[in-house]
Amino acid sequence: MALIECRRLTRTYAKGALTITPLEELDLDIEAGEFVALMGPSGSGKTTLLNLIAGIDRPTSGTLHVAGVETGSLSRSKRAAWRAAHVGYIFQLYNLIPTLTAYENIELPLLLHPLTRRERHRKVAFALELVGLADRHDHYPRQLSGGQEQRVAIARAIVTDPTLLVADEPTGDLDAAAADSIMTLLSRLHVELGKTILLVTHDPQTAAWADRVLHLDKGRLVARHVPAGGAAPPGASADAAPVASRAAGGRT
Amino acid sequence: MLRMRFLPLVVKQIVRQPVRAGLAVAGVAVAMFLFGGVSALQSSADAAMEAADPNWLIVYRKDRYCPSTSRLPESYADRIARIPGAARVVPVRIAVNNCRAGLDVVTFRGVRERDFVDEFAPRLTLAPGAVDAWRSRSDAVLVGETLARRRRLNVGDRFNAAGVTAYVAGVVRSDEPEHDNVAYAHLPFLQFATGGRSGGYVTQFNVRLARPGTGETVAAAIDAELAADAEPTQTRSPQAFLLAAADDVMQIVRFTRWFGWGCLAAVLGLVGNALALSVRERVRHHAVLMALGYDGRLLARLVVAEGLMLSAAGGLVGLATAQGVLRYASLAVSVEGNSIAVLPTVAGMIGGFGLTVAIGVAAGLWPAVQAARREIADALRVV
Repeated sequence: MALIECRRLTRTYAKGALTITPLEELDLDIEAGEFVALMGPSGSGKTTLLNLIAGIDRPTSGTLHVAGVETGSLSRSKRAAWRAAHVGYIFQLYNLIPTLTAYENIELPLLLHPLTRRERHRKVAFALELVGLADRHDHYPRQLSGGQEQRVAIARAIVTDPTLLVADEPTGDLDAAAADSIMTLLSRLHVELGKTILLVTHDPQTAAWADRVLHLDKGRLVARHVPAGGAAPPGASADAAPVASRAAGGRT
Repeated sequence: MLRMRFLPLVVKQIVRQPVRAGLAVAGVAVAMFLFGGVSALQSSADAAMEAADPNWLIVYRKDRYCPSTSRLPESYADRIARIPGAARVVPVRIAVNNCRAGLDVVTFRGVRERDFVDEFAPRLTLAPGAVDAWRSRSDAVLVGETLARRRRLNVGDRFNAAGVTAYVAGVVRSDEPEHDNVAYAHLPFLQFATGGRSGGYVTQFNVRLARPGTGETVAAAIDAELAADAEPTQTRSPQAFLLAAADDVMQIVRFTRWFGWGCLAAVLGLVGNALALSVRERVRHHAVLMALGYDGRLLARLVVAEGLMLSAAGGLVGLATAQGVLRYASLAVSVEGNSIAVLPTVAGMIGGFGLTVAIGVAAGLWPAVQAARREIADALRVV
C-alpha cells in the first residue's frame, strides 16, 4: 500500500449560493520516500490537496489513506493527534510565532509529546544543527532573514521526525539564493533521511528538485512527469555534510 | 487541565507582549484595589456588629445626641449595681473630637483604674510596664494601635484632641476595633479636662450581665429605676446602639457593594477584551499551532490559562496594594464614638483573589471557544 492513497477524492465548498469544487474525483498514490511536487495555476486545487493530505481539511467524498489511516473519517481531535505524529507542515510565509525564539518555535510540536525537557532539548538542538542555525537559537523571528526563518520553520516541521513533510510554496517568498538554499535542505532531508515530501509550487525550477511532478488544473490531475535528474537538481549545492548518520533524534 | 509543560508557553505569550499584558494587568489591579477596599469596609462593618459583646449593656442619657453629650451622674452606678441581673457597673466618660461620621475621629474613654484592669486590660495586648506608666500620671492615656498609627503617636508624646491634652503612656493592641481606635484615660482626668460642670458626671455606664440572655429585662429595669430622675436613661445592648448610630454609614457601606460588583464586572470586561483582541490578532498563529497538531481543546485551554494568569497577576497586585494601603493608612470610620476599623481580612483577600481567578477563567471562555472552533484552512488564509 502506498504511503498516500487518494481515491475519487473530492472537496467542495459552499460560497453563498455557489458550490465550488477545488478538487474533483482525484486518484493519486505517493510511495514512502518519494519527493513529489504539485504544480498548477492558482485555484487548481494544489493547496486543497495538500491540506487534505496533511489532515488539516476533510474530503467531501472519496477516500484518503495516509500512513495506513483513513484520515477523512477521524474526529477533529484525533486528526490533530494524527497530524502531531505524522505530518510536518512548512508554510510559504514561515508562520513562526513572533513572541518565541527560534528554539522555542521548534520546540512547539514536541510539547505535544510526552518527552522530558532534556529530550526536547536534544531534539531541538539536532534540528537546529540540521538546518544550520545552531548559533541563532535565541533569535526571535524579527531578527532573522526570510531564508533563516524558513529554515527554522523546516526545523519545526522535522523535529518530531514525521512520516510526511508537506510544504506549501516554501520558496514563494524568498529570493533565488535563499530559495536554492531551502530546496537544497529539503533535498538533503529527502535523500539522506529518506523523508517523503509533498511540495506545492508555481515555480518549475523548484519543482525540478522533485522525483515526480504532478500538474493539477481545475481540481483534476492533468499531467505527471519525472524531471530530469529528479532530486538532483540543477545547481544543487552540495556543501553540507551528510546528515543521515546524525539523525539521532529518533521518532517521538 | 493544562499540562505543566505548556505553562511556560502561556507565560511567554504574556510577558513578551509587555504593553498589552501590562495594560490588562494594571486595569485588573486598579479594579481589584477598589474591590479590596470596598470588601474590607463591608467585612469590617459586619465584624464590628458581630464583635459587640451581648453580655454587656450600655446606659446612655435618654435622647442624647452623641455619647459625649450624654450626661449622667456618676452616682447612678450604685443604683444600677443594685438592680437584679447587673453583675458589674463601669462608669465611662467619652470625649470625641467629632460626633458625626468621620475617618479621623479621636475617642477618649475615661475609666476608673480598677475597671480598666479588670474589664478592659484582658482584651488588650499591653507592653510590660504600660499599666504602671499609665497609673503614674493623671494625664496619661493608653492609645490603641490604629489610632496611634493614624496620628503617628509614640510613647512619651503629648497630643491634643477634643480639647484634651494627654500624655501617651503606652500603645495597646486589640483584635477588637472598639478597643484599637480609642485612648484610655483616667476617669477623673477626663471629667476635669473636658471642662464645664463635668465633675461627678459620666457619659455612659457599661453594665455586665450576671446571666447571658437577660439583657432586655435588665435594660428595662434600669430605665424604669431612673425614669423619674432628672437624667432619665436609655439602655440597650452595644450592638443595638451601634446599629442605630451607624445606620447611615451602614447604608453607604451596603451601597458600596455595587461598586464591588462593578469592579468585578470591570475585571471581566478588561480580561475578556484583552483576550478577544489577542485571539483575533493571533488567528493565523493559532491555525499554525493546530496544523502542528494542537487540537481545539488544547488551544482553548491555552487561551483560558492566559486569561487566568493576566487576571491573577492583576488581582494579586491590586489586592496586595489594597492590603498595604489600608494597613498603612489605619482608616477607621467612626460615628458617635463607635469605631469601624477598615482592615482587610486574610479570608477576604483570599476570597477576592479566588474571585479574580474565576473571573479570569470566565473571561477567557468565549475567546477560547472562538479560537478552538476556527477551521485551520480558513484561518491560514488570514493575513
